[in-house]
Amino acid sequence: MKKRFALLAVPMLLSMLAGCGGSNNNTPDSAATSAAGSQPATATAASSSDPVTLRIAWWGGDTRHSYTQQVIDMYEAQNPNVKIEPEYASFDDYWKKLAPQAAANRLPDIVQMDVSYINQYGSNGQLEDMTPYLNKTVQVGDVNENVLGTGKIDGKQYGIPLGVNVLGFHYDPALLKKAGVDSVPENWTWDQYKEIAMKAKAAGLYMDSSMAADIFFNYYLRTKGLSLYNTDGSALGYDDDALFSDFFGMLSDLIAKGAVPSQDKLSQNKGVIEEADVVKGTGIGIWQWSNQYVALQIAVNRPMELAQMPGPDMEKGLYMQPSMYWSVTANSKNKEEAAKFIDFWTNNVEANKLIKGERGVPISSKIKESLATELTEPGQQVFKFVADMEPKTSPMSPPVGSPEVVALLTDLAEQMNFGQITPDAAAVQFRKEASEILANR
Amino acid sequence: MGQRLRKNLTGYAFISPFIIGFLCFTLVPMAISLYLSFTKYNLFAPPRWIGFDNYIKMFTGDPKYVHSLKVTLLYVFIGVPLRLGFALFVAMILNTRSRMVGAYRTMYYLPSIIGGSVAVSIMWRNIFSDTGIINGMLGFFGLGPVSWFGNPNAALFMLITLSVWQFGSSMLIFLAGLKNISGEMYEAASVDGASFLRKFFKITLPLLSSVILFNMVMQTISAFMTFVPAYIISKGEGGPMDGTMLYSLYLFRQAFMFNNMGYASAMAWVMLLLVGIMTGILFKTSKSWVFYESGEESEPWRTIKSNGLSIIFSSAGLLLSCCTRYFGWSSAPSRRAASYL
Repeated sequence: MKKRFALLAVPMLLSMLAGCGGSNNNTPDSAATSAAGSQPATATAASSSDPVTLRIAWWGGDTRHSYTQQVIDMYEAQNPNVKIEPEYASFDDYWKKLAPQAAANRLPDIVQMDVSYINQYGSNGQLEDMTPYLNKTVQVGDVNENVLGTGKIDGKQYGIPLGVNVLGFHYDPALLKKAGVDSVPENWTWDQYKEIAMKAKAAGLYMDSSMAADIFFNYYLRTKGLSLYNTDGSALGYDDDALFSDFFGMLSDLIAKGAVPSQDKLSQNKGVIEEADVVKGTGIGIWQWSNQYVALQIAVNRPMELAQMPGPDMEKGLYMQPSMYWSVTANSKNKEEAAKFIDFWTNNVEANKLIKGERGVPISSKIKESLATELTEPGQQVFKFVADMEPKTSPMSPPVGSPEVVALLTDLAEQMNFGQITPDAAAVQFRKEASEILANR
Repeated sequence: MGQRLRKNLTGYAFISPFIIGFLCFTLVPMAISLYLSFTKYNLFAPPRWIGFDNYIKMFTGDPKYVHSLKVTLLYVFIGVPLRLGFALFVAMILNTRSRMVGAYRTMYYLPSIIGGSVAVSIMWRNIFSDTGIINGMLGFFGLGPVSWFGNPNAALFMLITLSVWQFGSSMLIFLAGLKNISGEMYEAASVDGASFLRKFFKITLPLLSSVILFNMVMQTISAFMTFVPAYIISKGEGGPMDGTMLYSLYLFRQAFMFNNMGYASAMAWVMLLLVGIMTGILFKTSKSWVFYESGEESEPWRTIKSNGLSIIFSSAGLLLSCCTRYFGWSSAPSRRAASYL
């Protein structure tokens, strides 16, 4: 009896151990990857038919996961020697996974990068400078210099933008008319914005749902020739706290006057588009990126339009925002093959017919043209809007930002909107705490 | 191989998964986290030794930390007594002899089984939303809609109600305790003409006091470590105005959103200390209010007391695993990510 127990114990124990070691399952996988990977690395481009395994990681929702997998399948069919292993997650989880992988030098070969993170990863030596690959492996002849430049930090190309977005005001023209305004003026100013907002209030409508603190304050600073951070990210990029008070004073003032929903109400709607005032017909519009327009248009289900940012000096403030980048990691053993996949993504017409501009308006002008007929009505509106804005934008380098500073600014904006702190006091507090965070990094 | 070792081999084999798991996933991470708590570590650059700076910053240079501590203490001191009171109340109802009592017990226990899960928190968010059922009911009585997520105090209150609602496990333990009180005592009291309240205060509570202590210790520890509801309901931001910034949520933000691993480790150790002190106080004061029938502590109690340290350690282990869990991929697309694009 006792012996039989002992015999039983062994397989049970083994299976339990296997269960415990679940988190280590990657080890044999990646060992195989690097074993397969080291071959072509030593033999370089001479034998491109050697089997290669690429790991690729991105964040996104269900739609993105499924079409990205289709593009990967298409690529694998055309390059039978390449096997691509996808790893995907939601935005928040993505960065929680990527940071430890970076610490362990085990990043995937290709990673999707965000503007707020690319500088951190690039300057920490995690990403490959793509400059030598440009117009050799990755064709960028049809890409606007201002657009490609958004992936450049200190002259090093750390990422190839997947698509671009432009800030704007997305609104329902019928509701705007209801407020007694025929259309958004061609080159409108902040004063005109405030005027229209008060008219909306008089007509029983909300003007908008306020503005994301970090993004729009940065735009406002850029119109003054400044920016939120200085070039190396060691301090704030502006000296005059009056700019802070002016901008956030305007936002919280509109809330106090009732032209924009109270912070109380804003907190409730966070993140769910269906609950937005513009969808319910009680708000005229939303300030956001152009790629968010299509989803909004579907939710609103009434004719909508895109308007440019208020000025003065809109041209100085506006920039082409890369929706995201593909970056090749420094620890990749297959950089050449990884670059080939990025080229496929950027320049292959059939692949882009699957992508349909979901990651922003494509950067290659040829792809943009060939997609024009494939798009839905709102999609065409976005492409046109971005095309109209492109010549008006100024160059941008990804800021050396810090999620901690953004969180601080968002907090303070919330407190100002609640009327718990004056913009002047918030400006001082922001400077003090943000400087500490930036200096301490 | 010695005779004794051979004899015990099966036992060792059976217990080894726990021992290996404990060493690999509790003890070693704890040691590393203790080391990291004295360093500045952002995952990219190697850890840099800074001594007690993290601990000093916590109490002198980080108002948000102090705020999160306050929110957590409020949550614990209001939530735990409410929860225990409610659990005892329901346990007493379910202790009556009625035909459907089995089904009722199951029903009342259900919320705790699904309790900590993400789904319940999302449901809770919907119930208390602008147009949710709670505001609908308030509207029925002519009371204006309360913005549960807009008002910092209301948001914490909502979190507390969620914790009270998940009373099942303490209720079951109370129920077992109630079953242990012999009916003769109540009968004797009835003969002497004692009222219901008198019976409750003179018989039920004293005889239940050791169970109350047990529940209080366990619930306090778990309340200190509450994370999921605050994370889900506030969408990871602890808002509005940091009203739901529970300790573990702030720790998580420091660790995984701001990559301040050293600071977060220091926070975890202070939390461990705090939970230890709270548990210690509960045990110390228990001498004056916990009543043991035999005049001496019952056997299980002595065991639990002498294992106090291991309770504290396992709670720290839980805290760590709550953090390490987030290293895992989750393919579930969150709404926020979808809207982020």
